[in-house]
Amino acid sequence: MSSVIEQIEQQIANLQTKAVASNTGKILKIGDGVAKIDGLSNVMYNEMIVFPGGTIGIALNLEEDEVGAVVLGESNHLKQGDEVKCTGTLLSVPVGKGLLGRVVDALGQPVDGKGAIESTETYPVERIAPGIIERKSVDQPLMTGIQAIDSMIPIGRGQRELIIGDRGTGKTTIAIDTIINQANINKVGIASGDPDFRPVYSIYVAIGQKNSNVARTLGVLEEKGALEYTIIVSAPAADAAANQYIAPYTGAAIGEWFMANGMDALIVYDDLSKHAAAYRQMSLILKRPSGREAYPGDVFYLHSRLLERSARVNKDNGNGSLTALPIIETLAGDLAAYIPTNVISITDGQIFLETDLFNQGIRPAVSVGLSVSRVGSAAQQKATKQVAGKIKLELAQFRELAAFAQFGSDLDAKTKAQLDRGARIVELFKQPAFNPIPIEQQVGVLWAMQNNVFDDIDVSKMVDASNSLRDFLSSRKEALLTSIREKAKIDDDLTAQLKAAVEEWKPTFA
Amino acid sequence: MKQTKQIKEFAKQLLKMSVEGGDLSADRVDGVLKVLDKNPPRHHIAVLKAYLKLIEREVAKSTAIISHAGAIGASSVELISKQLSAKYGRSIAPITREDPSLIAGLRVVVDCDVYDSSISNVLSTLESSLS
Repeated sequence: MSSVIEQIEQQIANLQTKAVASNTGKILKIGDGVAKIDGLSNVMYNEMIVFPGGTIGIALNLEEDEVGAVVLGESNHLKQGDEVKCTGTLLSVPVGKGLLGRVVDALGQPVDGKGAIESTETYPVERIAPGIIERKSVDQPLMTGIQAIDSMIPIGRGQRELIIGDRGTGKTTIAIDTIINQANINKVGIASGDPDFRPVYSIYVAIGQKNSNVARTLGVLEEKGALEYTIIVSAPAADAAANQYIAPYTGAAIGEWFMANGMDALIVYDDLSKHAAAYRQMSLILKRPSGREAYPGDVFYLHSRLLERSARVNKDNGNGSLTALPIIETLAGDLAAYIPTNVISITDGQIFLETDLFNQGIRPAVSVGLSVSRVGSAAQQKATKQVAGKIKLELAQFRELAAFAQFGSDLDAKTKAQLDRGARIVELFKQPAFNPIPIEQQVGVLWAMQNNVFDDIDVSKMVDASNSLRDFLSSRKEALLTSIREKAKIDDDLTAQLKAAVEEWKPTFA
Repeated sequence: MKQTKQIKEFAKQLLKMSVEGGDLSADRVDGVLKVLDKNPPRHHIAVLKAYLKLIEREVAKSTAIISHAGAIGASSVELISKQLSAKYGRSIAPITREDPSLIAGLRVVVDCDVYDSSISNVLSTLESSLS
């Protein structure tokens, strides 16, 4: 009680008695979360404005005789003639490690009932992306824990890799797996006491999703022990379009703090299709001219300015990174739609998930032909490169041959061998959800694949065989796995050890 | 009638005609209105509405509404007017209004700018900082 009184006394002592100047306006009309305001002659574009009751808005349309603003949050209490004030500041959100393990809304306010957020710093939601001079090439890997991706479509720290596919093809699962894998790596790295170890903190931005979905994601992260390294920014479907519009920028601001302070962060935007739809809704209400598919003219800039903020910065600028995994939902696999093509052109590659593969039970349903990582191979670990160098080609050839082989019965021995190998690789890459595989185990299994260890095992037993080998390596050959992890390349010594380990494992798998 | 670009542009031209030496002239406004009454333009009601809005804005720019709780001396009003005229670079005419809701102090409004030194503002700032 006394502390509250002390606080009030301090507040009263700090009160200013001199005249406070402010630039004001009056609401002309308000509806659908958008207000038209008369006045606000000094307002800046994207400036935070305050409505009665402390409700915050953003000035988005600066017109000749009125200002169009979006209201962030509840607007039912606002009415025509209410006074609106300029704040002179851009919208800012709390940032820092105090947000780890928390769920916040689009304005950075906690929504998880765990009390106030311990943060002393704020970052503006809209920020100019790092320039050319501040950047550095992507050269450090970011392991997703998904074999198909880490071996064929590697992602580097600071990269923007799009996850694209129809609904229900496992896009979010890939993102969550990646977050879980970062947490697993962080735990091992921190426990090792390696001073050069750089943990990756994750930010998951849920845009326009059902609250039940966000709760499920939160539950998975909590169950897998990944929440302590993760921040969830939630702007669910029930939130105003303005909140859904601002949420990814809030997430980017939170991620930028890690990057600016020499740390590595990963941000997942789930998903940017809904983000574009929210922006379209807002723009139409603001009466901005609409273009293709009724999106406003600046919808490309909407995503480019967001994704450009993900970068790897050089030593002079902290040596941090912000890796982005934006998600786009396609309709009937249409990659040539407006928003997908925009985001594909902005990002450094895409992971395309196919409904057909998913329905065939090939999960993750990564389409090898359409997926690509434009910069990640420079960051791929040498060990993975050594064992997975040819796999993408072999798998692509398999897909082509498999389609062709359906029509022919007589196949030559070489084609049969290619088909057989491809079928094994497909089986090898099958992986259950929320079960990322450490890179050293991936290398072990892929080494066995490369060295034809699985050739005499029935294709239907491939998943069991790879699981068995991984279990064997993790339980019996921990030192070998540690060596692979630490050396990050396969030399003669490791080759010999792997050979011996596989020979020891083989009789145990009947 | 929706205010189209043409109507707004026409109203702006009328406003230009109503200004003399940088200040709004009552005589010129009267003249403009008489001409409009004699020769009403197309959509004259919309034109008049747009013209009224511009006139109101122009008046607000050169008027300081001084709300006060309790008495305020003529010298204080004159001083405020003088200082605001110097600040904005145009002649600002003061209008005083008694407003007991301010509790004590002054609130001066010039167009969109508000200068508030009232107790009610201090209390509302305190309220928002505590919530």
